[in-house]
Amino acid sequence: MSKYETNFQFLERFDKRVARLAKQAEKYVHTDPDSCMFKLRLMVETMAKKLTALQMRGDISKDLGAMLGALERSGALPRRQADTMHAIRRDGNAAVHGSPTPVPTAMRRLSEAYKISGWFCKMMKRGTKIHLDAFDPPEPPAPIDQQTKRLHCKIDELEESIEQRRLATRESLLMFGPQEDVEEVTRRIIEELMALDNVAAAAGEPTIDADFVALVMAMDLEQIEEDPRHGGNSRKAKKEAEEQLDGIKKHLAERENEFLAERTFLLEQRNNA
Amino acid sequence: MMDTMLDLPTLWFLSARAMAVAGEDMPTVQEAATGLYAQAILGLTEEECVKAKDADHISNKTLIDCLAGVRALPKEQSEKLLTGVMMIAYTDRSMKPLEVRWASMLASAIEVTPDFFQRCCVNARIIASLLRPSGNSSEES
Repeated sequence: MSKYETNFQFLERFDKRVARLAKQAEKYVHTDPDSCMFKLRLMVETMAKKLTALQMRGDISKDLGAMLGALERSGALPRRQADTMHAIRRDGNAAVHGSPTPVPTAMRRLSEAYKISGWFCKMMKRGTKIHLDAFDPPEPPAPIDQQTKRLHCKIDELEESIEQRRLATRESLLMFGPQEDVEEVTRRIIEELMALDNVAAAAGEPTIDADFVALVMAMDLEQIEEDPRHGGNSRKAKKEAEEQLDGIKKHLAERENEFLAERTFLLEQRNNA
Repeated sequence: MMDTMLDLPTLWFLSARAMAVAGEDMPTVQEAATGLYAQAILGLTEEECVKAKDADHISNKTLIDCLAGVRALPKEQSEKLLTGVMMIAYTDRSMKPLEVRWASMLASAIEVTPDFFQRCCVNARIIASLLRPSGNSSEES
């Protein structure tokens, strides 16, 4: 790629500020990798703010980590994009706090920023079709000597191993494995739970019954709502917990009635036979 | 024949995801809490957690297998498991009928007393409170 070209021209049509930050990051990647990371972090923050304004309601924290977390929880930010944005946030923060950024690290983040830029454009203008060519790494302004090349290779290997390590940790923490069909597993679990609900409505649970569990859970939910971190006041928390308990009691009563109706129907069938 | 010899990691992920699914929505906080609890409280390793979720390994296990397996666990482990499952139930700060049913099924399988169940729930509530599912958190910038 010549020094006059850029990977991020396509962004101009969607968001001029994000495009400008991306181009600046691209410009600094060899000469000032720390500044490249500042710009990339700012670019991610700008993206997150735009997505938040577009997708979220209510009072969302201005803090980038919390903003990304809220977007992820709401389903607006897929896992892969969230991982990339968090990686840029972390390295950008490290650069701001004086930790030097190696050129291969900045280049890796720049390339990742390029990939999420395409996704970002699609989010900003629904129905947009974007064809992204492969990322074209900017050339260094002057040839790199062999010693620096070797060092860059080592840093790249280290970055790759850190990436793999993070991925392994993340996979271990999640509820479902990467190969699992979450929708199918969820459907199966719901079927099983409903079957268990039927059995329990007919026969009851031997030690701890559902009425008791509902009561304990309602008391606990009241306490959770009252917790100062959630800012609930006592009266509101109590009301919400009571409403939830009433809902469960209604469900349990309905299940009992359904069971009784089914039993009556069977008896009537037998009597009529 | 029903397999009652499921290991702790498999039992944990089966029972935790049943509770999360029973809660209808599955916020990311529940997802992450599942793995954190597994490693921090149940003492499982990353490798054990990954292996337990291997599609070939877990896909043919049912909730009945899970109840039977939990029943066969040492008391200390099954009680920790129950606390963790209740924590998952509390993270979205709402209670759904199938959550209540799954909790009563698990507690009955483990054969805890009502007093003990309440103690488990208090511990679970404290952990769930710390997870701050409202999103108004002060996470790292």
